[in-house]
Amino acid sequence: MQRLPLSFKITTIILVFYTLIAGLLIDVPALNILNETIRNLFFHVTSWFAMVFLFFASFVYSIKYLRTANERDDLLARLFVQVGMVFGAAGMLTGMLWANYTWGSYWVPDPKLNGAAIAMLAYLAYGVLRNSFQDNIQRGKVSAVYNIFAFVMMLLFVFILPRMTDSLHPGNGGNPAFSGYDLDNTMRLVFYPASIGWIFLGVWITEMRFRMEGLKQRKK
Amino acid sequence: MKKISSTLALVLLFITAIGQQAEMADQMRESGKIYVVVGVIVLIFIVLFAYLIYMDVRLRKIEKEENER
Amino acid sequence: MAELKNLTAILVKEFKSDFRNPYVLGGAGLFLLSTLFVCYITIKRIHQPSIWVALFWIIMLFTSFNAVAKSFMNESRARMLYLYTLIGPSIFIVSKMIYHATIMLVLSMVAVLVYTTFFEITIEDRLVFFASVVLGSTGLAITLSLLSTIASKAGNNLTLLAILGLPILLPLLMVATTLMKNSIDGIDLSVQYKYLFVLFGLNLSSLGLSIVLFPYLWRE
Repeated sequence: MQRLPLSFKITTIILVFYTLIAGLLIDVPALNILNETIRNLFFHVTSWFAMVFLFFASFVYSIKYLRTANERDDLLARLFVQVGMVFGAAGMLTGMLWANYTWGSYWVPDPKLNGAAIAMLAYLAYGVLRNSFQDNIQRGKVSAVYNIFAFVMMLLFVFILPRMTDSLHPGNGGNPAFSGYDLDNTMRLVFYPASIGWIFLGVWITEMRFRMEGLKQRKK
Repeated sequence: MKKISSTLALVLLFITAIGQQAEMADQMRESGKIYVVVGVIVLIFIVLFAYLIYMDVRLRKIEKEENER
Repeated sequence: MAELKNLTAILVKEFKSDFRNPYVLGGAGLFLLSTLFVCYITIKRIHQPSIWVALFWIIMLFTSFNAVAKSFMNESRARMLYLYTLIGPSIFIVSKMIYHATIMLVLSMVAVLVYTTFFEITIEDRLVFFASVVLGSTGLAITLSLLSTIASKAGNNLTLLAILGLPILLPLLMVATTLMKNSIDGIDLSVQYKYLFVLFGLNLSSLGLSIVLFPYLWRE
């Protein structure tokens, strides 16, 4: 990974602040039960998007590592998972709070919730796996293989299962998708920039962690 | 006293509003108080981002020092 | 053609060594039987099909951990390396998967027999029921074949295999349990076929991924 240019960081700041201000102030459709909480779409759903993107980046770097055996790729794969987990934790906690007010309980048996929890478990297992090696090269190879395997299986699961079983989330099991009613055009205007903003923020933090690790290794 | 009566009025308004259209935070917007909330959140994020930028700049400095050595 | 010959040769070798040293298979079988018996003693009767199915798959899950983990612990490093250079990694992993799948099929048939005698239940759709058992247990065997290699690289313990395996196996188990529960309730095949399809697809993708990823675990 190259050092991120200044323009990237400025874009991140602009997008995040645009999300915060516009996300709270634009007119949203008045819906029963959801009421104002529909604005959570800009904050809760986008943090999941950021997590998925960061895990995808980790997956890509794991593939790269298997091809090149460059230790930097392994490091990036690890860091993307770490930062992705932070966003995942944010997504999970905010989702639980939101669920309590709209679905009546902090945790409901919903395939998307289960999928998210399983994904988090898999990446925790990835961390455990990494810690059980002494040798760097072996650790890199084996954990990259697990990362790729886990990511593809998660992807299959996340895409297939919610479409088969009933879900409270929009777009599944008879519920209309985002485009149906709750993501009208004004909301789109915030939702897409918001997704990009949180993803960029995750990439920025990962880049800083990467530079820190670089310094740490040079010290040795 | 004023506070209590205003909250009471708010609660009453809430109760009357139930059963009508989906309840939105129109009150907040009419009184302009939503901007206070937005302001608070923006301030928090300004501080957070200032810290992030500060860390970035410091990292760059340390990297430079390391390169010069 | 030579590959097929190698494959059968290594499979014959596996089963022969099992025959000579029956503790591995016997251990897993005994684990299964004693777990089933403990369940019977403590629970006695299950009225709800969902709990019946869940208990069955939990037992199968832990039996599969035991059966698959033991088979890799038996192999010495030198012998594995020898086999690897002799026949190549993909044949090796395929033979392992077939071997594990066979063991799991035998164990699952024993489990079904004993379990249905202990906890009586009327199964409406026997064919789909057996399909769910077969596809579910081969899925467990195939997925755990790669994961047990990963775990064996990292110090060979059963706990690590369970940590790595659980999140990846959960999707498979969720589909298998739904399929089985529906078959007990006698849900129509027009609903069931998509679960069958997904379960089959999960097996196949796990198989494909293992074949692609396994060679990387050896190159060190």
